Amino acid sequence: MKMCTSADSKLIDFMGSKPEVETSFNRVPGQAIKCGFGMQGVCCRLCSNGPCRITPQSPKGVCGATADTIVARNFLRAVAAGAACYLHIVENTANNLRAVGQGKSGLTIKGAETLRELAGVLEIKETDPAQQAVKVADRVLEDLYRPRGQQMTLVEKLAYQPRFRRWQELGILPGGAKSEVFDAIVKTSTNLSSDPVDMLLHALKLGIATGLYGLTVTNYLNDIMLGEPQIATARVGFSVVDPDYINIMVTGHQQALIGVLQEKMVTPEAAALAGRGGAKGFKIVGCTCVGQDMQLRGAHCREVFAGHAGNNFTSEALLTTGGIDLVVSEFNCTVPGIEPICEQFLVRQICLDDVAKKANADYVRFDCNESAAIAEKIMHAALESYIRRRGKVQVDIPEHGYDDAVTGISEKSLPKFLGGNFKPLIDLIAGGKIKGVAAVVGCSNLTAKGHDVFTVGLTKELIKRDIIVLSAGCTSGGLENVGLTSPGAAELAGDNLKEVCRTLGIPPVLNFGPCLAIGRLEIVAAELARALDIDIPQLPLVLSAPQWLEEQALADGAFGLALGLPLHLAIPPFVTGSKLVSKVLTEDMEQLTGGKVILEGEIVPAAEKLAEIIEQKRKALEL
Amino acid sequence: MKRILIDKELCQGCRNCQLACMAEHTANRSVLCLDLEDPANRARNFIEAGPHGQPVPILCRHCDEPACVTACMSGALTKNPATGTVDHDPGKCAGCWMCVMSCPFGVIRPDSRESKVAIKCDFCHGRPFPRCVEACPTGALTLIEVDAQGTVKKICLPEPVAGETAPEEGAHQ
Repeated sequence: MKMCTSADSKLIDFMGSKPEVETSFNRVPGQAIKCGFGMQGVCCRLCSNGPCRITPQSPKGVCGATADTIVARNFLRAVAAGAACYLHIVENTANNLRAVGQGKSGLTIKGAETLRELAGVLEIKETDPAQQAVKVADRVLEDLYRPRGQQMTLVEKLAYQPRFRRWQELGILPGGAKSEVFDAIVKTSTNLSSDPVDMLLHALKLGIATGLYGLTVTNYLNDIMLGEPQIATARVGFSVVDPDYINIMVTGHQQALIGVLQEKMVTPEAAALAGRGGAKGFKIVGCTCVGQDMQLRGAHCREVFAGHAGNNFTSEALLTTGGIDLVVSEFNCTVPGIEPICEQFLVRQICLDDVAKKANADYVRFDCNESAAIAEKIMHAALESYIRRRGKVQVDIPEHGYDDAVTGISEKSLPKFLGGNFKPLIDLIAGGKIKGVAAVVGCSNLTAKGHDVFTVGLTKELIKRDIIVLSAGCTSGGLENVGLTSPGAAELAGDNLKEVCRTLGIPPVLNFGPCLAIGRLEIVAAELARALDIDIPQLPLVLSAPQWLEEQALADGAFGLALGLPLHLAIPPFVTGSKLVSKVLTEDMEQLTGGKVILEGEIVPAAEKLAEIIEQKRKALEL
Repeated sequence: MKRILIDKELCQGCRNCQLACMAEHTANRSVLCLDLEDPANRARNFIEAGPHGQPVPILCRHCDEPACVTACMSGALTKNPATGTVDHDPGKCAGCWMCVMSCPFGVIRPDSRESKVAIKCDFCHGRPFPRCVEACPTGALTLIEVDAQGTVKKICLPEPVAGETAPEEGAHQ
């Protein structure tokens, strides 16, 4: 079977040895011919006069919509859907924190420091942690449910002040987050808005709501419930799967839903239950961002967490090892392609959130107050599946991954590691040992030269130029599995960065974990800017989502633009059919927020462009 | 001799062949960067709606007895005896539009840039596979090898499109 390539050669070798299993990698060649209208974003399916497509001989849709209108509508719809996904996550997370605070869940507060700080920022009067937790959750939920005409109250408290003021000047402070999503759908429906600029500004509002609530607040709330990240080394790759255990693979983005399992699966009762099947116990195998989040908080789930196996497009291959007994999914990056493989390998599937309901999965509705019963159900399902399948399917776990990936890096653990603040990092940047910072974030796709190919290639080119890379999202999984988040990767860095890495014992790629951690990177950026008394766009800091895949990534990207960061994408977000939208995103945005989109589909030119921007920003700061 | 074989039953009317044709005749040949609002960009192939609304791909057939060549007074249009293609030399074209009037399929047209010369399918100038054939997702367009009598000798199968629209292929089968 033909297949696309990957930066991870061991993964390719493993998949090549399993011709009986079809994965996304094999389907890429069959989908190689792309629709040009779709790529350019000029196909409109909003009414029955369509689908209309823009060509030089038919420059308007039947209704009169131009390429600009059609592209802007399609783009805003995608950003709105992406924002909706992240807002769903923060909504569930806040509801869980509420239940924890009310003492109904059986879970305890593990991140007392974060809770205290957040309660302080939100000016919550209560002093009792449980009551603080309830209040914090309430404040978040109130904002999410506000009407569009009322601005959300936490934005000013959470945002870096110079940014907040700029957003205020631009009139892009979001109203209630869910209402903003709702009206973006209204706005982009048949024969409503035709104003591309208004739609792009709406996308920025959704970006702010996504970034501050979907990302940042979700991180805070999960840190409170599940513990704060601590820097440590971890095993990564398929080798984390130990066939002596009953292995539960998790996919999604909501650790708040998986968290209940962490506690219950390591009790003596759980060990006894696993023993009934002849297994040593239960293990959670991380896959996609929820695994990345568990790895980040690995200090709080050491016993139960086997390790992170890989990113979104490794999930099909991971099942092919035969070592997985149950899939528990709660959100996206649960690709439909896993379903036939689950059938092939007799793996049962359970979904905890119906937004990610897979066709052949059992739906177990998550309820924080029923967490013990749900954990019990999942363990029994895993045991049954283990007994039913082991012996019938081949277990073949390849040597894959690294033992020393550095993890647990956050906006709090990093300065702690540096001695209490970001000054050492700022000094290294100011002194030129580190030229600048590049956040290589977002997904993996299979089309920007292959699985993780662009991400890994770009990262290598950046570190070679003494630019330190911060990762968040599926980029982390890809970079970990090729060793770039291990200290040994220092050898691939430029001389100056190499020296810094060796001295500090760190890799040249700092792994912040899941895509939600893009919110942590924003805090790092804000802290660096605060220390220098400048605004975020002035920092020698660039953002790249080289292998963005999905609508959520576009909402993240809108946040990046709102923050005023240069944002590189290897594949255009279906906008090149509109000159106006392309110009606003790639040029005019700089006058609005300070950010801009950089479209570059080749690795070395992309690295050169980003390095050039860093150089310009250094010059402007007289560094 | 190579020819494009059309199976109109397989055409879904996606017009990818038209975009590919337009892109091939721009400087950077990219579908992604193709200016879809510039009327100067014009495909040399057409998807027309048939009597029942079904899509019908219409491409230059590089006729054995080409009416356009017969009608051409300036010698711009010639039938290439080696390749069998009907070639057009814009340097010689007088823009009299006799070819446009005589083509029974309506595929040769005035250039919409300056409307001084005719434009038609050039078989992508010896590219191994014409862009339209490569871009067709349904198999409605295929490249075939025919002999002098017009008998099909071989169906030529392209590799998936390379470049911007396609991921890199691993060497693994």
